[in-house]
Amino acid sequence: MPRRRLFLALALACFALSAAAADPAADPLDLARYRGKVVLVDFWASWCEPCRHSFPWLNAMQARYGDRGLVVIGVNVDRDRADADRFLRDVPATFQIVYDPSGALASRYDLPGMPVSYVIGRNGDVVGHHLGFRSGQSDDREAELQQLLEKSQ
Amino acid sequence: MSDKDTFNATLAAATCALLGSAVATPVVAQEEASRWSFDSTLLYYGESDDRVQDVSAAVSAVRDFGDERKLSATLTADTLTGASPSGAIALDRPQTFTSPSGRAVYTTNAGEVPLDDTFHDTRFALSTSWTQPLARLYTFSAGLGFSTEYDYTHLGANLSLARDFNKRNTTVNAGVAWSQDDSNPVGGRPVPLSQMLDVGNNSNKRDGSESKDVLDLLLGFTQVLNRTTVLRVNYSYSDSSGYLNDPYKVLSVVDPLTGDTLTRVPVGQGPDGVYVFESRPDTRTKQSLYAEVKHAFGKPVLHFSYRYMTDDWGIDSHTGEIRLRWPLGEGYIEPQLRYYTQSAADFYRASLVGGAALPRYASADFRLGEFDATTVGIKYGHDTASGNEWSIRAEYYQQSGSVPQQQIIGNQAGRQQYPDLSALIVQFGYRFKL
Amino acid sequence: MKKTSLCLVLLALSGCAGVQPWERDVLARPEMSLDTAPLDAAIDDHIYFSKEASSGGRGFGGGGCGCN
Repeated sequence: MPRRRLFLALALACFALSAAAADPAADPLDLARYRGKVVLVDFWASWCEPCRHSFPWLNAMQARYGDRGLVVIGVNVDRDRADADRFLRDVPATFQIVYDPSGALASRYDLPGMPVSYVIGRNGDVVGHHLGFRSGQSDDREAELQQLLEKSQ
Repeated sequence: MSDKDTFNATLAAATCALLGSAVATPVVAQEEASRWSFDSTLLYYGESDDRVQDVSAAVSAVRDFGDERKLSATLTADTLTGASPSGAIALDRPQTFTSPSGRAVYTTNAGEVPLDDTFHDTRFALSTSWTQPLARLYTFSAGLGFSTEYDYTHLGANLSLARDFNKRNTTVNAGVAWSQDDSNPVGGRPVPLSQMLDVGNNSNKRDGSESKDVLDLLLGFTQVLNRTTVLRVNYSYSDSSGYLNDPYKVLSVVDPLTGDTLTRVPVGQGPDGVYVFESRPDTRTKQSLYAEVKHAFGKPVLHFSYRYMTDDWGIDSHTGEIRLRWPLGEGYIEPQLRYYTQSAADFYRASLVGGAALPRYASADFRLGEFDATTVGIKYGHDTASGNEWSIRAEYYQQSGSVPQQQIIGNQAGRQQYPDLSALIVQFGYRFKL
Repeated sequence: MKKTSLCLVLLALSGCAGVQPWERDVLARPEMSLDTAPLDAAIDDHIYFSKEASSGGRGFGGGGCGCN
């Protein structure tokens, strides 16, 4: 009898632990927190040349649409924090930065390239992604964000 | 627009927009403000024994138009003085030759390898190229090149296309280049295998220029092997046709027993020996396979390359090169080593035997002979506070060749058979951004 | 036959080798570019072309940060 209880307790503990792992609160990106907002998750690195050009645009998007519900999150994949800091001194970011030095987040999203931006709607679904940054595409991308922000959910 | 439509549209636009000759652009991180980057260099090349000396300066400019579109241009100027071995063999007596212009003579001392008459020449070269992506995974490049010196002009164009695969871990590229070179030698073009004649006798010289056309094809494959290693493999095919002779090179016609150059008596001023101008085929097909690897051991980077070349003139060559870039303070130090070996062309002859039938093709040009060459060098680069780089490079190049045993006749065995070469190369460089 | 096996080797290499896009930090370093000193390379090519019977072989493209 006591052994079965022990077993049950262990099983429950395992379940609770795995549930905790899936718990968004444990996720560094914590997207559940932004449910109801439009989120732009941009993966960048200090060695990524196009990122020097995407940051000014991301800053502009955050400034322009922040109070309409846009959240821009820059996920840095540099192994060395010092490299990321040096980049941010040259190219400042006025949006939130999350650090992923082990590449765990990058692996989870299985990035197809660098840089890459994931667009997430107010309902939490990933609407799509943009691979690379080209100044010629920024108008279309802004229009896409405006469209998503217009939706109530 | 679908990826394919974008591709077709940009290909059409790019084909109209292009020019320049392929100058590879280095990967340089740039700020918003600095769209121009420059690379400049000053080079001194000097061979021992009063042979060729060359001083050259080059400037390369790259303008970044954003979104990976780049325009680059390189301007080079160099002044060459000195002389190279003419192909005639050394003798135990002085020798007299008619100069290429046909208006004077020059002499070589006993025991010395005869060199061409000393010349001064200034060469200018300009090349430009345009690179842009055609669609996300396609990069297109086109270039033009031009160079001119007093007896030679070159005009060339090239196109290439690269396509990435496997999340850009693999790149395949194909390129084609055409060039047309015009040769207008001083004193006229000598009839191949005709004898060197007295001063003022131009009966074996032809006026006007002759051209040489070259078609080059390249197929390349670049592969990221792991986080710290990248590999590149290239196959090239080259086809030259037209005037491939060196109009200034000769062969000595020697006695079949003594191996000494046959003598002649000039009428007035002229050669005191029998020399004939060289003759090469009017086509040449080359193929080469090239592989290089770059590997980072932490901060230092090792670069190794190997090239195998073979052609239908019977020349096979192997080139191996290794460089190690070692960070040093605010810069780096990079020792380098190169080893080169080639076999002789089928028609390479140290000398021609008097009385024997003339072969169809023959050349004593040391560059077509059998030799090994080694280069040892070191480069030091320093990054300035403003992000620019100056560098200094010094190299020592040594070539030593041999003549096939069966071509050594009589007294030739006791003399220097191959005009070995050694040269010192010193180069200063400065890279900056505007 | 030799050409076919070479193609197969290259194809095999491309299948099992490579890194994830976020792991290209080392490859993005300028000294890891295969065209890191184009002017040096052009000068060397010119010197060796005028003293030896072989020339060229190098191409361009690939490696680096793999961005865009």
